[in-house]
Amino acid sequence: MSLDLNYRDVTKIFGAKGKNPVKALREVSFTIQPGELFCLLGPSGCGKTTLLRSTAGLESISSGHIFYGGKDMTTIPPFRRNIGMVFQSFALYPHMNIFENVAYGLRVRKTPEAEVKRKVTEVMELVGLMDELRRNPSPSGLSGGQQQRVAIARALVYDPDLLLLDEPLANLDAKLRRYMRAEIRRIQKATHITTIFVTHDQEEAMAVGDRLAVMRKGIVEQIGTSDELYNRPNSAFVANFIGKMNFLNASMTARERGAARARLVGGGEVKVSEPRNHLPAAVAIGTPVLLGARPEQLSISTARSEGAVDGKVNIIQHLGQFVRYEVSVDGAISAQSFEVDMPGLVQGIAEGDHVFVTIKDGLASLYLPEEGKSE
Amino acid sequence: MKGQKLDKAISLGEAKGLKKFLQKDLTPYLVFLIPMAFLCVFLFWPLVTTLLRAFMRSGNKFNLGALGFSGFEKFLTSALYQKSLRNSFIVGISVTALSLLVGVPMGYFVARVKIPGKRLMLSLGILPVIMPSFIGAFSWIILLGRQGFVRHYINILLSPLGIEMPPIYGMFGMIFCMTLTYYPFVFLLSHGAFSSANALLEDAGMLMGASRWRILRTITFPLVLPSIGAAALLVFIRSIGNFGIPAIIGGDQYVLPTLIYFRVNGFWDLNGASSIAVVNVLITGLVLWFQKYVVSRHEYETISASRVDIKQNEHPVVRSLSALYCFIVLLVSLAPQIVIIIMSFFEKWQGLLPEGLTLANYSRIPKNSPKELLNSLYLSIVATLLTAILGSIVAYITERRKPIGAGILDMAVMAPFILPGTVVSVALLSAFSGKSIIPLGGTYTIIIIAYMVRRTPYVYRSVAASLTQLNPSLEEASTIAGAHWIYTFRRVSVPLILPGIISGSILTFSTLLQELSTTILLYGARTRTVPIQIYGAVADGQLGEASALSVMLLLVVFAIVYMTNKSKDANLSAGLKM
Repeated sequence: MSLDLNYRDVTKIFGAKGKNPVKALREVSFTIQPGELFCLLGPSGCGKTTLLRSTAGLESISSGHIFYGGKDMTTIPPFRRNIGMVFQSFALYPHMNIFENVAYGLRVRKTPEAEVKRKVTEVMELVGLMDELRRNPSPSGLSGGQQQRVAIARALVYDPDLLLLDEPLANLDAKLRRYMRAEIRRIQKATHITTIFVTHDQEEAMAVGDRLAVMRKGIVEQIGTSDELYNRPNSAFVANFIGKMNFLNASMTARERGAARARLVGGGEVKVSEPRNHLPAAVAIGTPVLLGARPEQLSISTARSEGAVDGKVNIIQHLGQFVRYEVSVDGAISAQSFEVDMPGLVQGIAEGDHVFVTIKDGLASLYLPEEGKSE
Repeated sequence: MKGQKLDKAISLGEAKGLKKFLQKDLTPYLVFLIPMAFLCVFLFWPLVTTLLRAFMRSGNKFNLGALGFSGFEKFLTSALYQKSLRNSFIVGISVTALSLLVGVPMGYFVARVKIPGKRLMLSLGILPVIMPSFIGAFSWIILLGRQGFVRHYINILLSPLGIEMPPIYGMFGMIFCMTLTYYPFVFLLSHGAFSSANALLEDAGMLMGASRWRILRTITFPLVLPSIGAAALLVFIRSIGNFGIPAIIGGDQYVLPTLIYFRVNGFWDLNGASSIAVVNVLITGLVLWFQKYVVSRHEYETISASRVDIKQNEHPVVRSLSALYCFIVLLVSLAPQIVIIIMSFFEKWQGLLPEGLTLANYSRIPKNSPKELLNSLYLSIVATLLTAILGSIVAYITERRKPIGAGILDMAVMAPFILPGTVVSVALLSAFSGKSIIPLGGTYTIIIIAYMVRRTPYVYRSVAASLTQLNPSLEEASTIAGAHWIYTFRRVSVPLILPGIISGSILTFSTLLQELSTTILLYGARTRTVPIQIYGAVADGQLGEASALSVMLLLVVFAIVYMTNKSKDANLSAGLKM
């Protein structure tokens, strides 16, 4: 039976007594559903690994509580928590063959020999390493992907209540990484163990997770499915972390129930309706805001039109399904150059040309700039 | 609803607070206490006693009422003291300088010039450090002593000029023997630095137009300087603390360690000996401080993404000159061992050739020194086992569990590494001889303790080195899998640091078999060891018997080291570093 996992006000301060205490986690609270494959995503130093290690008990948290299936595990030492963990380095034992590596947790639990054999065989079949089990080499005789499978098997063999994966794919090459993330999802769905998967790679997180949490500076910014996070990011940070988003400087001019109007720095006014307006209700008229649009929500042309921004094409990259135009614009309009994805090459536009960029109708979103956000 | 349930879980958890504390695993703290207690009783207390005694009037009475500087005043009034102090300085500095002069070029040649037999050179190179140094000293007496045959022929060559080579006794002899004993530190460490330096850095210099000499001067040398500095420090500390060589070859020239021996053995003046010991340690401390604050400022982190093999100099002239140089250095530094082996089969060696081929030197051993053989084995084995346990536990605690005070523990364990053997003995005698609370004078125990105190750094460093290479997630994986830390320690940590424990223990055992400087002040009639017997035989002029005993020691030590070098895992050099 799978357990749910509940964080309540989890705070972790490193070097609390020293001169420079670092708040790695700030009152993190959320719940992971039973049997869910949950991704913790964020840039390095965001606290995702600290949260995972705290969940395992390898770090003791400064305050707050962690519950497994309603049971407070905060002070339980890690070896009594019955969890499985896969480390970034795999942490396979070089002095044991792969059978003994996988059997380790069973030996700790003093499982009878026949049972050990049965369970190891079962789990090795699940991860697809039956041939290797017959040869039974030491881990150094396996490829990276096979070592990864052994590490997963070792974590699963004693039916843990929780499976924790700490950047499990970071040591694999790009092609194997794409294959293994599908494998991990398959194995997790077969065992139905509540699982946390930590990564800094948003593509990986979106591909693997049932739901994901985007973390930054010890805070959970947003939790949702891949679809929710991509299509309805609730902050500029999440919008730009999950995929690319172009931001245009603007100021709010009017508010009409859920919707809002914003005027671009270069002129032109845009109306953003309810689901895309992420400004807090308290924002006053005239406040600087950001108008956001994903590369496929922009379009370019050589003809000037209402509300268009003019810029210069730097680079054109043909990427297969679409063509990416990198367009530099006036620094007052946007701090960065735009990325515009068009379904195909636009005739008559070459690198170095002047173009006009417009946001497709009704697809712009509104955010508060990062600096204005209180921490 | 759910929130309430969780709140209930919290309150349940908090009610168990006291019980939790009692349930908390106290074993690490208990294990931590054992080495701490050992170090307090057998290191801190003796050192404190020594320090106090250093300020007492000469004699062996422990009298806190009469503190003063009489022990130190001797350095101002006594010619013998002044001379010993000066000699120690001269020996330390000359041996360091000469070792650098001999060792750095050799390290460079073996690392950077294409010469044959590099592996052999490296394994032969370490022998003088591992072999008993006093055996080298008395073998040079056979070659260059009053009746030494090499000196005899040199004198025949020199006679037309009207000059005569003096016998090796004295300052020249000490400096000569110690250089040959300790240059391998410089050779091996600089070889390591020269061969591990990133070749790309030098290639980059060359592409920017620097000449070969300029690259050596501005790139290569600054990068290997820290290693050479560390080697020089090691040589200085070792040479200033060496007892065997000055005792055998020093003649009427005393250095501080022999002066300590003289005070203890001639006058039973522990307080006077303590004063000398304090001075001896002060010099070492000063040099250590110098190294730490002056030399270490020039250390660099190696920034390297990829490694490229270092290009070897293939110029035929350079190759043959380098090979010749290395060959001569090795030959001279290994000559004592060869001479000893030959000598052990003869009665005397005063002309060109030894005379009186015989096996009597060997056949006399079981009759003359049965107790010494057994004692050496017993003391070395027991001390090695205990040292292995102590050193491993301390290393594990300081490296992995990092309790408060880990830094102090680290310093305490490493302190004896820089203490001369005679100083450790004086410290133990000050604390445990005569009417001490724990009287240990003349027992096996005091020797074993002295051995442990002196050799724990070997095991400690060796294990610490293998622990730093051991990814902590290997142990965490075991904890996560449900294993208590003792189970983790037994099944994961110990098997993985075993090579470190073994190589540290081998180094400990092979150096303890030949231990002289500590034993010489601590042995009694019951506890004589083989090195003591050899020392006595040399003093009595029984060179044949001394050689036969030495050959046995050499064989055992060589066999151990050879077997260790054959197995890939063990790495003896880690234990020798600071």
